[in-house]
Amino acid sequence: MSGGGPPRQASIAETIQTTDGFLRHAGREFLVVLYTSFRSLKLYPIENAQVQKALDDLAATTKHLLDVEKELELRLQGEFLFVNSTRLRLDLDNYASFSHILGVLRQCGVGAVRMLSYAAKEANPNKVFELGQKLTDGGVSFISVEPPLETDEDVEEEERQKEAAKRTYARSVAVTKEVINSIRMGRTANVKKVKRAVQAIVDQVLNNEASLVGLTTLRDYDEYTFTHSVNVCIFSVALGRKLGLTKLQLYDLGIAALFHDVGKSRVPLEVLNKQGGLSDEEWRIMQAHPWLGVLTLFGLRGYGEIPYRGMIVAYEHHMKTDLTGYPKSLRPRDLSIYSKIVSVADGFDAATSRRVYQTVPIQPDQVLKEMWENPRRGYDPIVVKAFINLIGIYPVGTCVILDTYEVAIVHSANPDVTHVHRPVVRVVASAEGAPHQPGFLADLAQRDAQGNFPRTIVKVTDPAKYGINISDHFV
Amino acid sequence: MLSKGLRATQLYLPNNPVYQRAVDNIRAALRQIWQATDDLVFDVAETEVRWEDAVVYSQDNRSESVAWTLYKDGVRSLAFKPGIEEVEIVRFLGVLHQAKSLQADAPDDLLTLLWAQDFQFISYTFRELASENAVPIEAGATIPTTPPTQVRRYVEEEAPPKRAGLVSIDDFDTTLYFLEDKEVDYLKRDVEREYAQDLRRNVLAMLFDLLELQTYGTVRAELISILENFIPYLLGAADFRSVAFILRETRVILQRARELIPEHRQTLETMPTRLSQREALSQLIQSLDEATVHPTEEELSELFQELRAEALVTLIGWLPRLNNERVRDLVHGAAARLAQANAGEVLKALASEDSAAQLEMVKLAGRLKLPGAPDGMEPLLGSNDRTLKLAVVEALTAIASPSAMRLLEKAIEDADRDVRIAAVRFVASRGYRNAAPRVESIVTGSKLRNADLTEKMTFFEAFGSLVGARGIPVLEKMLVAKGLLGKKEDPETRACAAMALGKVRTPEARAVLERAAQDKEPLVRNAVSRALREVGG
Repeated sequence: MSGGGPPRQASIAETIQTTDGFLRHAGREFLVVLYTSFRSLKLYPIENAQVQKALDDLAATTKHLLDVEKELELRLQGEFLFVNSTRLRLDLDNYASFSHILGVLRQCGVGAVRMLSYAAKEANPNKVFELGQKLTDGGVSFISVEPPLETDEDVEEEERQKEAAKRTYARSVAVTKEVINSIRMGRTANVKKVKRAVQAIVDQVLNNEASLVGLTTLRDYDEYTFTHSVNVCIFSVALGRKLGLTKLQLYDLGIAALFHDVGKSRVPLEVLNKQGGLSDEEWRIMQAHPWLGVLTLFGLRGYGEIPYRGMIVAYEHHMKTDLTGYPKSLRPRDLSIYSKIVSVADGFDAATSRRVYQTVPIQPDQVLKEMWENPRRGYDPIVVKAFINLIGIYPVGTCVILDTYEVAIVHSANPDVTHVHRPVVRVVASAEGAPHQPGFLADLAQRDAQGNFPRTIVKVTDPAKYGINISDHFV
Repeated sequence: MLSKGLRATQLYLPNNPVYQRAVDNIRAALRQIWQATDDLVFDVAETEVRWEDAVVYSQDNRSESVAWTLYKDGVRSLAFKPGIEEVEIVRFLGVLHQAKSLQADAPDDLLTLLWAQDFQFISYTFRELASENAVPIEAGATIPTTPPTQVRRYVEEEAPPKRAGLVSIDDFDTTLYFLEDKEVDYLKRDVEREYAQDLRRNVLAMLFDLLELQTYGTVRAELISILENFIPYLLGAADFRSVAFILRETRVILQRARELIPEHRQTLETMPTRLSQREALSQLIQSLDEATVHPTEEELSELFQELRAEALVTLIGWLPRLNNERVRDLVHGAAARLAQANAGEVLKALASEDSAAQLEMVKLAGRLKLPGAPDGMEPLLGSNDRTLKLAVVEALTAIASPSAMRLLEKAIEDADRDVRIAAVRFVASRGYRNAAPRVESIVTGSKLRNADLTEKMTFFEAFGSLVGARGIPVLEKMLVAKGLLGKKEDPETRACAAMALGKVRTPEARAVLERAAQDKEPLVRNAVSRALREVGG
């Protein structure tokens, strides 16, 4: 019973917040039960008790949503899933279900699924229409499907994002260069700029991860030390996002990642840039860079708060999970998750880059394989696995030969993690060897009418051999 | 309205009614606006803010201008959405206030601060003002093109048959595409651990590992300097546990580090000492006593455990001035620990120029029964401070060592009545017979002539206790004998003599008392009666 007077009306803001909160929560729940149903149906026949339970759960969750919202729309937009206009947030509990459903919708070319409590809408005359027709034929009248919305605005938006990514990347490299050089020359580094750069990287990764990750394929854009730091920052933030870190946690991780090699600013340039093998003494100096990083960060004036997390990552990023590696550790220590992330990002970018003492970079897939399979490398296997989930077995920028004899460049990882080996590629040379400029995108996870994969990767190759400049396709 | 809110944020604390009124006004205004529109988008210029091309705010004075605060760091438009009035508007005003007061070389500007707030109901556009000499990203260097025929030939060479080294899904674990629940849990725990860990302790452990392992003098010098500068910072941040860790690990380094040059060894050795020095320790205790949020007992005791002997004087000096009970207990505990282990420092504290410190030390020495303390207490008996002297007597009684008793004996003849009474009472209660001659001379001499009854009584009772049967003739004479003129002693002296006989507790003493049982003087009669009860049947 309420007291006297009329019932209080919820403010617009309250209504928005409440609705948003409800959809975010119920939407995630819906996604998880939908995913569970998909998985169960894949493994067992429909009569199976587990399948039935999953479907019952799905029906209950759907009903719960429909009771409140009257209509339930699951929409794919860019890299995100929306439930009735509310974007679902990724976190550690749901990201697998998220990417699976994202992948399924993409694969089917479905942009939205609507469950209506009153009527089905007309579908468009295309593949989606067929699916819609089949649903109708099957007696399903309260679920409709719609194609993805790809408007001119979307294309413009993608271009805009790409340009923004390029600006962010270039600015980040410039800031890193400025800071490292300032430290090297004993000048005060501008921490504000670094913060801004990392904040921009986090924003970019949150808005459009692929465009920034693609730029890590840029080689010879600037000195290795600077581009490497930025690449490690990008990979780390992207991986952190995959692991469900919050925006502010991504910032912490990004700052630490950008500064992971800051100790190299105290390594003499003749050692840092020496071509050929290093002497024992030079190698010892190089191996000092993690702890030199700690000392450097202590001396970095302008920091409001001492950058402890950055120090820890700088110190630990060459330590293996069993605490071997360098520097040697005497006191008890648990490797920070951020160090493990940066360590994987660092190892991957370093091995796939051309450096003074590594003129031929190793192919990305080989690097991942080594990281995954060789425990002596000392990477955290779960972080490596998450990293492979992120960039795919064939990371963005990998040059591949397809079984069609076409040459292609990996454009983006398949959002469906069950297809890590079937990324989206840009075909840049025809089966006859003729170059395609700028080429066309092909989703290797897409099947033909017979259910076969028309294109499959058979070989990773050196792009230079084919006169291909990878970064041309990301810039 | 916003400007007023900002001024209120600058001038008043959040619990101030003026501030609260300003915020309430903004909230009310925004709620009214949401009746008419779904959002509020402002264009920001140097001196003004515009809404739909109309100037809604203008201020030429930059130091007071909200527009300038936004504009100077690059903000060019600002959008408020419904919901901002609940929480975010207050945080937004806080950010503006913070940004206004930032120095040019500060690690933040308005943009970094706004970003960190992660506002949901406020968005903004900005122009990147800092020039980083960024090199535009252009298409890469031209690589010699490969003719199609050659591309085809290469592909044929490379592609079929499948060569070793080709990575396929089969080469990887079949579950690679998917993180198991337990793996997700593992990562989740790791992230939680990341944010639950003691970052400072982690970094300190690194520094000590380096200090131990890096034998280069310059590196060690830098590390030691970092540690030295770190201590005040940690104290300022009330991270006492980390300071204790530094002091503890410094001891470890002194034991374990190889090739430590004398200069570094000396600096490390003096590190814990420096914190125990008066100025530093006083700062610490004062800040603790004044702090609104107190560290845990465990944290503080870890630090106090590391204090050196020289801290005792300062700790003792602070004890009477502390207001916080918990801090007082901790300081007391630390002082007790140091006092028990460092007799020399106890003497120093007793010789302190601060009489309050002296008093605390005396009390502590008594409670701890420190056997060496009486040496430092002797001069205190010569002071004019009655409270101090009484405390000394009490402490000496508690210590009760031969040297303590010797001092008590001296105190019997102190200039202060209370001190004399206390001393003689304790001497008597301890049965310290060495003091008997002195007590006897006082009782039989003229020193008690002007003393009040209490003092007289105390001395006489002490006399009875210490001298025993040997004193009966003197006491008998005082109690019952008449003088040359047939005059007896005054009633007070006779009553005292009776009480003294009561302490002798022998049949002879009883016999003397019985003879005086019917004395005409009520005072004497009462005393005799009490004494007889004490002597017993």
